[in-house]
Amino acid sequence: MIHHFLNLANYTLFFYYLSGNLVYLLALIIALKTSAAHQRGIESFRLRWITESPLAPPITLLAPAHNEEKSIRVSIRNLLELDYPELEVIVINDGSKDRTLQELHDEFKLRPVRMVYVQEVPSAGIRGLYRSDADPRLLVIDKESAGSKADAVNAGLNAATSPYVCIVDSDSMLERDSLLRIMVPVLADPKRVVGVGGIIRILNGSEIQGGQLIRVRLPRKSIEVIQVIEYLRAFLIGREAWAQGNMMLIISGAFGLFRTDLVRAIGGYRAKAIGEDFDLVARLHRHLLEKGQEYRIQFVPDPVCWTEAPSDLKSLGRQRARWHKGLLDTLLPNADMLFRSPYGRVGALALPYLWVYELFAPIIELLGIATIIIAAILGDLSREFFIQFMIFGYAFATVISIGAVLQEELTYKRYSDWQDVARLVTYCFFEHFPYRQLHMVWRLQGLWQYLRGDMSWKPLERKGLHTTTAP
Amino acid sequence: MASGFEILHRLEPSAFVFKAIIGAIAADVLLLAFILLRRSYRMHYFRKRDARVFELRQQWDALISGEIPFETWRTKSFDRRIIEDMALDAFEAAAADQSARLLKFLRTSGLIEKRIFEARKLKGWRRRTALVALGRTRAPEGIPALSEALRDHDPEARNAALRGLGRLGSPEAAEEILHWLAESGLNVPILPLQNALINCSRERPQILLPYLQLAGPQLREVLARVLGEVASTSLGAELIGMADDELPELRAAAARALSNAQPGHAVEVLGELSRDVVWFVRLRAVVAIGKLYDKKAIPHLIKSLTDSNRLVRMRAAEGLVDLKSELVSIFAQVVKTHDRYGLHAFLAALENADLRNRLDAEIRQAAYSGIEEDREELLVVLSAGKLTEPQTATPAQPIETAAQ
Repeated sequence: MIHHFLNLANYTLFFYYLSGNLVYLLALIIALKTSAAHQRGIESFRLRWITESPLAPPITLLAPAHNEEKSIRVSIRNLLELDYPELEVIVINDGSKDRTLQELHDEFKLRPVRMVYVQEVPSAGIRGLYRSDADPRLLVIDKESAGSKADAVNAGLNAATSPYVCIVDSDSMLERDSLLRIMVPVLADPKRVVGVGGIIRILNGSEIQGGQLIRVRLPRKSIEVIQVIEYLRAFLIGREAWAQGNMMLIISGAFGLFRTDLVRAIGGYRAKAIGEDFDLVARLHRHLLEKGQEYRIQFVPDPVCWTEAPSDLKSLGRQRARWHKGLLDTLLPNADMLFRSPYGRVGALALPYLWVYELFAPIIELLGIATIIIAAILGDLSREFFIQFMIFGYAFATVISIGAVLQEELTYKRYSDWQDVARLVTYCFFEHFPYRQLHMVWRLQGLWQYLRGDMSWKPLERKGLHTTTAP
Repeated sequence: MASGFEILHRLEPSAFVFKAIIGAIAADVLLLAFILLRRSYRMHYFRKRDARVFELRQQWDALISGEIPFETWRTKSFDRRIIEDMALDAFEAAAADQSARLLKFLRTSGLIEKRIFEARKLKGWRRRTALVALGRTRAPEGIPALSEALRDHDPEARNAALRGLGRLGSPEAAEEILHWLAESGLNVPILPLQNALINCSRERPQILLPYLQLAGPQLREVLARVLGEVASTSLGAELIGMADDELPELRAAAARALSNAQPGHAVEVLGELSRDVVWFVRLRAVVAIGKLYDKKAIPHLIKSLTDSNRLVRMRAAEGLVDLKSELVSIFAQVVKTHDRYGLHAFLAALENADLRNRLDAEIRQAAYSGIEEDREELLVVLSAGKLTEPQTATPAQPIETAAQ
């Protein structure tokens, strides 16, 4: 009986691993094709056409900030310096206990204003509204903290006056032309495009001066470099490919653009959501599919948002456990979308993929590895096959990681230094062993925390966007 | 020879996995080799290009004047691309006299002719690149080739042609676009189309009128939006006709156009539009009235301050606050409306413009008939931010956030 079970488990793991990697391989091929087409398209498109147009739709940038005293000046200055003709920046001070509001006050000469603030989507109480004398495009909302970024964004959503809102993290840094670039699909098809996601890349190790990125460098720590590869794979392959089929379910909360009326129509962000960005996009899909509307949610790989990644195992583990909790927290309420006709490809492909290859991945992979080891010990598995299977899985997955680096090389080429590329490629060989197994443990912890009802959010240790020079 | 099925049948799982390992490792090696080769090639290419750009920059005047014969570089695609890029970049930033010199160079060197040929004969991204370059030259002889590309079956090529024509910025280019629209309808994204038409019809907005009258509803809306941006005083009568149109988008565009053209009777027509049944027409009219900075607009803006739509109220308040010289009398009229939402909108606009203290001082110093009765009430309302007696409710339910 046990032998039969072990045999079955080993075959399951084998085909699970094979199919997961084949899906990614297919995604890599799609991504290479679409990004090549995108590059060609961009060559005959000049961003100045948008800045010179009197009809460019206004955008409101929503930047929630919670205890961001270290980086708030630099990051908001960075937002105000973005190239876009019609811009409004709303910073939401989400009950910060540090000097965040004071820093904003000192830097941007805030003065209190009385405004009509209609609470179209729910959010915690507002303590005050401030307009900047230094830059009239800046509005600061000081609010009570409800313990979630979603609630802070909702407050900003209520005050936004533009047809599009762009949600950014106030500890991230956008490239100067990123708003122009993220608007390209909207301007091409304003009736159908309701949401656009940009790419998030890792800032650690790069040179920053006065809120601007001077030189992109690879981080020094191994744990950070592996995250660079992970992000490249997730964005340049995963999201690029899913967006081609209009099945992209995640637009990162650090940089995403949405139609304001639609976000308000679905009640804004769900305040209690753990993965509020994923939850919002899933609800947008649901809302539009149920209404039978023709729409597109797109990904654009060249508007870049640089963000600081965790630089120690403890913080990274906490972040990944929270992401996995967020995944389950969104998949569960949307389980009724699975394989039901109104939800089309989203219900038939994208959501099942997330259930099987993302949510259950830690259980299946860790259990699978355990059964392989037991089978090998009990002599039910030839040692030769065991080693071959491991090498195959490892080599195949490495193809995908190197493919992600290739995608970056073919298209966006942010790492100009030879050393950086060599290191990036070298680390592709470590991503699938031992990092992947460690990652699975963190994700399993996330599942366990969710099932225990532990929804607490512990802030990550950040260094801030100070001026830094690369090693 | 064994069939594929037989080979698969003979493969043991172990052999299959072994072959898969070989395949995966080979793929890893190939990817790595590709990355390395590409990096080396690009490094070499850009080094060579930079050196050549530097050399050509040293000889720039001789190149432009024809002192260096065009034949020496025109047939070398590497040099030609560099020189064309340099010339077009310089052309975009050049003053009038420099532009003429550069355009002459682009013509006599045959670069424009070559781009016209490529725009007609090539396909795909090469054609798109040629179309964009042709647009950047702003040479009228490029119009026929760009116009032909508007009829391409590839939407990207149509977009590139549209943008190219837009760069030309001439009424002739606008005629071509309008003719094509009349012929094939709307089959390009609206925003690039509007941008191109705005650029091209600014000089002669009248060319839009016949199409505006005869086109279908969707195209009329697009053209009206363009007219809203480029309208001039000479179009006064046509704009009044547009303000009576059955399509709300056209009435809204008429409002925008009236604020740009500013014919003598603009305030009255916009006043009418500010009472339209459709909210966005009212909004556009109120924004347009505000831009006129005309005291005659005050009654219309005060009326709009009591509108049922929050955005209309906000814009009306901003328009009123922009009339800085009349702040006291405007504020007195706002208070007399007894509309607390209108008052909130006005105070918000006042604070956004940082004029609250100025209004306070002006109320204290104001001297006009009846001011003594009003003065105290105005000061109380201004400092408390609310009316002195209970008033009727209006539709929206805003939450007032008190300033600290």
